[in-house]
Amino acid sequence: MATLLPEPTVEYAGGTLASEQVSLWRDGVRRLRRNKLALAAAIYLMLLVLVCVVSLFWTPYKPNLVGNCPTYDLPSAAHPLGCDDLGRDSLSRLMVGSQVSLAVGLATAFIVLAIGVVVGLIAGYFRGVVDGFISLAINIFYGVPPLLVAVALYVLLGPSLINIIIAISATVWMDMARLARGQALSIREREFIEAARSGGARAGRIVFGHILPNALGPIIVQATFVIPVAILTAAFLTFLGFGVPPPTADWGGMASEGLPSLQGGFDPYILLWPAMALSVTLLAFNFFGDGLRDAFDPRQKR
Amino acid sequence: MKHLTFRFRAVQSAAILGGISLLVAACGNSTSTTSGLAAKQVLKFPVYQTAGTFDPGQADAEVDTEITQNVFSNLWRFDDNLNLVPDLATTVPTLANNGISSDGLTFTVHLKQNVKFNNGDAMTSKDVLYSWNRAVALQGAYSSNLSAIAGYDALQKAAGAPPSSSSGAGGTTTFRQNIENKLAANDPAFQLSGLTAPDANTVQIKLAHACGWCLTAWSLQGSTGSVVDQKAISIDPVNWWSKPVVQGQPGGMVGTGPFYLSAYTAKQSMVFKAVSNWWGSPKPTLTEVDIAIHDPAAISGDVTAWEQGNFDLIGYGGNSSNLTYPLIQGIKGNATYASQLLTKPKGRTTWLSFNVGYPATGGPFVGTSAAAKGLRMAFALAVDKAGLATTVCHDVQCTAATGGLITKGLVGYLGDGADPLAKFDATQAMSLLKQYDPTGKLTANLKYSFNAGGLNDPVAAYLQSQWQTNLGVHVTLDPSSDASQFISNRLTGKYVMARDGWQFDYNHPQDWFDNLWGYLATAAGANTSGFDDPTYDSVLKQADQMPIDTALPLYKQLAQILQQNVAYIPLYYSVANFAIHSYVKGAGSNSQADYYWNETSIQSH
Amino acid sequence: MVTRGTLIYIGQRLVLIVFTVIVVSFGVFAVVHSLPGNAFVSDRVHGRALQILLHQYGLDQPIPVQYWSFLKGLVHGNLGVSLYIRDLPITPLVLRELSVSAMLGGAALIVTIGLGITFGVLAAVRQNTWVDYLLTGIAVVGYSVPSFVIASLGILIFGQWLNNLSHGAFFYPEPWTGTYGTLAELSLPAIALGFYTSGQITRITRAAMLDVIGQDYIRTARAKGLQDRIVILRHALRNALVPVTSILGPTVISIITGSVIIENIFGIPGLGKEFVESIFQHDYNVTVGVFTIYAFLIGFANLTVDLVYTVIDPRIRY
Repeated sequence: MATLLPEPTVEYAGGTLASEQVSLWRDGVRRLRRNKLALAAAIYLMLLVLVCVVSLFWTPYKPNLVGNCPTYDLPSAAHPLGCDDLGRDSLSRLMVGSQVSLAVGLATAFIVLAIGVVVGLIAGYFRGVVDGFISLAINIFYGVPPLLVAVALYVLLGPSLINIIIAISATVWMDMARLARGQALSIREREFIEAARSGGARAGRIVFGHILPNALGPIIVQATFVIPVAILTAAFLTFLGFGVPPPTADWGGMASEGLPSLQGGFDPYILLWPAMALSVTLLAFNFFGDGLRDAFDPRQKR
Repeated sequence: MKHLTFRFRAVQSAAILGGISLLVAACGNSTSTTSGLAAKQVLKFPVYQTAGTFDPGQADAEVDTEITQNVFSNLWRFDDNLNLVPDLATTVPTLANNGISSDGLTFTVHLKQNVKFNNGDAMTSKDVLYSWNRAVALQGAYSSNLSAIAGYDALQKAAGAPPSSSSGAGGTTTFRQNIENKLAANDPAFQLSGLTAPDANTVQIKLAHACGWCLTAWSLQGSTGSVVDQKAISIDPVNWWSKPVVQGQPGGMVGTGPFYLSAYTAKQSMVFKAVSNWWGSPKPTLTEVDIAIHDPAAISGDVTAWEQGNFDLIGYGGNSSNLTYPLIQGIKGNATYASQLLTKPKGRTTWLSFNVGYPATGGPFVGTSAAAKGLRMAFALAVDKAGLATTVCHDVQCTAATGGLITKGLVGYLGDGADPLAKFDATQAMSLLKQYDPTGKLTANLKYSFNAGGLNDPVAAYLQSQWQTNLGVHVTLDPSSDASQFISNRLTGKYVMARDGWQFDYNHPQDWFDNLWGYLATAAGANTSGFDDPTYDSVLKQADQMPIDTALPLYKQLAQILQQNVAYIPLYYSVANFAIHSYVKGAGSNSQADYYWNETSIQSH
Repeated sequence: MVTRGTLIYIGQRLVLIVFTVIVVSFGVFAVVHSLPGNAFVSDRVHGRALQILLHQYGLDQPIPVQYWSFLKGLVHGNLGVSLYIRDLPITPLVLRELSVSAMLGGAALIVTIGLGITFGVLAAVRQNTWVDYLLTGIAVVGYSVPSFVIASLGILIFGQWLNNLSHGAFFYPEPWTGTYGTLAELSLPAIALGFYTSGQITRITRAAMLDVIGQDYIRTARAKGLQDRIVILRHALRNALVPVTSILGPTVISIITGSVIIENIFGIPGLGKEFVESIFQHDYNVTVGVFTIYAFLIGFANLTVDLVYTVIDPRIRY
C-alpha cells in the first residue's frame, strides 16, 4: 500500500451487544462450513498437525541417520519417498520438517499478534506524537525489502530456530500494526468508548477492555494470513542458507539441498517432496484464511 | 590415469612429427604441435570465485594465484610434476653448483638476461629486490615465505607501525603509498639487509638462519616471491592489479609471464592475451584466454555450454571442486564426454581437530591424560572413513585420508593406511568410551563446529550419525555461515571439536607442520588445536633447517607425535574434477595448480 | 493537474525517502559492523596480517567515525570500496548489477501485470464458470507456491524433461551464462518471479471488474448495443485499473524481494545475489550499499505509483 495514502477505513461489522456477537459467530461458522475449499484446507491442516505430533515420537526411520539407504535411492516399498543425497529416508525427514514450518508459522503469528496489536492500538488510540512516531517506524520498515531485513537480523542473531522467528516477526509486524491502528482510530470515535471515557475508565482499560474485543475479528483473520507469510519467509531464508542448523530437517533447507540433484535431471525427488509439502501447506493456509475472512469479516476486501 | 594417457598422446604425436626432442615435446612446445592447431587459439572457461586481489604481495587465495601464475614469474617455478625448475633464474641453486654457500646461509642467483616485463621494460636484479622488499613491507599473509631472509623483522617493523590515519577511506592509500614512497626513495629501513644485487643480473640472498624449505616457498607462484614492476605499481599503487595493460603504456597489471591482463570487469569477466615475442619458453600458442566469472549456481548451465563448445573447460582457476556429483555423473554417463572428465587428486586434506590445549573453553578432550587421549581415540575410531568417502563424496569428490595429514602424492606422505587414526573400529571405540566415560557425563554436551558450505555440511551430518550409531553419543552440530568467525574461534580455542584442513602452498612438509602446529604458527596465534609439545617444536626447528632429504625422517617423526597424541581425526583427501575437451592439448592440473597456459593449445576440432 | 498540494506532497515524500535511507543505512551499517568476523580472516590471514588489513581499510576505527566517512561518500554518490575484491569501487559495481536486476524485474513486472490483468478480466467476464474457477485457482497457487518451487519446476520441465522428450530438440539454457542473459534465459526467471504477484493482481482486477461491470453506465453502454469486448476494454478496464495501480507499490517491493531468491537460484549477477554474497563475505560496504539502493528504489517506486494514481484517477488530490 502506498505508504502515505489515507488509511482505508475498515469498518468492523461486529456490534456491541452480546447477542449480536453470538449470532455473528454462528453465522460465520455456518458460512465457513459451506465453503468446501476452506473445509478441505482445514482438514489438511489438521492432518498436518497430526503428522507433526506423530513425528515428534515416531518416524519410519531415524531422520538423521546418514547412510540408512543407498544415496539418491529412488522411491521404493521400503522408502516410499526415496532417499536423499546422504542416504537418509526422505519420508522421515519430510515428516520432521513439518515441525519447523508449523513452529515458525504459529510462533510468528503469536508474536506479530502481540506486538502489532499493542503498537497499533496505542498509535490509533492516543494519536498525536505517539501515532506519528509509530507511523514513521512503520513507514521506514515498509521502505526496506522484508527478506533483506530478515537476513541481516538472522545473521546478526546467529543460527537457531528462535532467531528465525524473531527475524521474520521483525519484518511482518507492520501490516498487523496498521490494521490495529485503523481499527482503533475508527472504534475510538464510537459512543460506547466515549461513555467509558466519561465514566473515568483508564486508557489501558479502554484500549484492551473495549477497543480490542471489538477489533478482534479482522485482527484474527489477519493473523491467519501471517502464518503462510512466515512459513514462506522461513523457507526463503533456509533456501538461501540462513536457516535452522543442520541436520534438522526443514522443508526449505531440504529443497535447497535438492536443487543440485536436479542438475542434469539426476534425482528430482529430493527437491520435489519438500517443495510439494511446502506448496500444499501454504495453499491450505491461504484457502483457510480466505474462508475465515469471508465467513467472519465479510466487509474486508483483500 | 586419464591424464597420463592424455600426456602420452602428446608425446607420441611429437615423436611422429620428428626432429624435436622428447623433452621439448613434454613441455608442450608449440612448434611440435602446429600441424593440428585450430585457427582460433582462444581458451574459454568459467570461474566461480572472484579474485580478491592479483597483487602478488597481497594475494592470499588459490583463486588469485592460479590465474596470476601465468602473468607473474618467480626466480624458480614448479613444473607440471611439482619439480622445482628455473624461471627468471638460470639455475636452481644447490651446494654442487655453488648457488648455495657451504653453510647454507647464502644463495647466489643469476638471472636470465633477456627477460622483459610485458610493458616492454627490462627485468633486472633491482626488480627482484623491489618486489621482495615490497612484499615484506606489505605484510600480507604470505610475507612469511620470505621470513628467513636477514632483516625481515626489521623491515616489517619499519613498515608496520601503521600510520594513524584520521579518515577511514584514506587508510589504504596512505599505508601503501607510504611503502611505495619509501621504496622509491631507497630508504634503507625498507630494504631487507640480506637481499643485495652485486650486479644487474645477480641477486644475493643472505639468510638469518639455515632454511631447507625457503627455496620452495620463494617459488610459490603469484605470491610474495613473484617479481613485479615498480614503474607500473607507482602509477596506481592501490588498483594497479585490476587495470589492463595497454601496449605501449607502462601501467596496469604488469608481470614477466607469458600473458597479460587485457580487460577486467569485476565479478563479470577477465581477458588475458599472450605476450608477443615473449622471452621464455615454451612460447604461448594461445592468443587469448577468456574467463567468465559466474555464480556457482550457474554451473549446470555452464556444463551445457561446455558440451556445446562455448567453454573449452571447467574447473580451472581453483574451481576444481565446483562440479557437483550429479553433474559429474551426467558427464560420465554421456558417451561423448565421459572421456573428457579429468579426475586428479588435490593437495588438500580435511580433518577434525580436537581441542587439546584450551582447558577454559575446550571439552573433555583437553590435555595429555590417558582419559583425554582415550576419549579422543574413541571418537576417532568410531568414524568409518571409507564410508565417509562413499556416502558423502560418492567416491568421486574425495578419498579417505589413510596416510596422514599430508596429502597423497606430496613430499611427506606417510603411505596408504599408515595413519593409525584412520582406522575404523566401532568395538574398540565403544570399549574406550566405556572405560574413560562410564557414566556418559563427560561426553554429554559435545559440539562439532564447522563452517557451513560445500562438503562440510554433509560431513558434519555424517560424523554426527556415526558417533550416534557407534558410540551412542549425541554431538550437537554448530555450523557457522560465517567462515571468518569460525576460523577466529578455532584459532582462539573456542571449540570442542572443529573441522580443520589445509591445502598445501608449496610442496614441502614445513608448509604443513609449521603453519599448523609449529613455532611460526604459535607466534601468529594460528595453532589450531592448542597442541603444544616441546619435542615437536624442537624437532620441527631442526628439520626446517635441513635439506629435504635429511629432514624427511624428522618430519615423519612429527606426524607420529601428532598421531600418538590423537590430536585429530583424519577425514578425507580432496579430489579435483575437471571437464576438459579433448581438443584442448596440454590442459590439466597437478595437485597444486592448473598447468600453465603457455603449455596449452587448441587442436582443430 | 500539478497543484500546490501535489508539490508539497512530493516534497514531503522526498524528505521521508531521504530520512528512510539515512535510518536504514545507519541501521544496516551498525548491524553489519557488529557481526562477528570480517572479510579477511582465513586459514592464512590472521594475527599480524589481519591487523594490517583491518587498518588499511579503516576498520580499526570506531563505527560512528566509519559511518561518517560513509555518509560523506554517499553525498557524492560514492559507496566506498569493496573489501572482498580489495579496493574495488562499489558504486559502478552495484549500478551495473542494478541494471541486471532492473532488466529481470522489468520483465517480471510485465509478466505480473500481463498475466494478472488478463486473468482477472477473463475471470470477471466469465464469472462463476470453469474459466473463473481455474483462473482464480491459479491466482491462489500463484501467491501460495514459493517462487523457488516454480523456478525449480521450470528448470525440471523446460531444462530437463522437454529436452529429453524431444531428444534435445527443445533446449532451455537453464541457468544464466552471460551478464545480461538472453531472452530465452530470461523467460523462466521472469515468470517464476512475476507469477507470485500476478495472483494478487488477478484477484484485484477480477473484483474491480465485477464492481464496474455491475455499475449503471456499463449496463447503459451494453444496452446501447456496444459490443461486449469494446465495453470491457474501453469502460470497465480503465476504471478497474485504479485499484490495480494501488497495489503496484507492494508489487514492486515484492518483486525486489523475490529477485533475491530467483537471482540466487539461476546465478543471475544482479543486486539480489550481490546482497547474499556480500553478507556471506562480510563485504560491509557492499551490503550497506545494496540496502541503500533498495531503500531509494522502494521510496521512488511508491512515490511514482502514487503520482500515477492521480493521473489515472483524477478524483485523487494530495
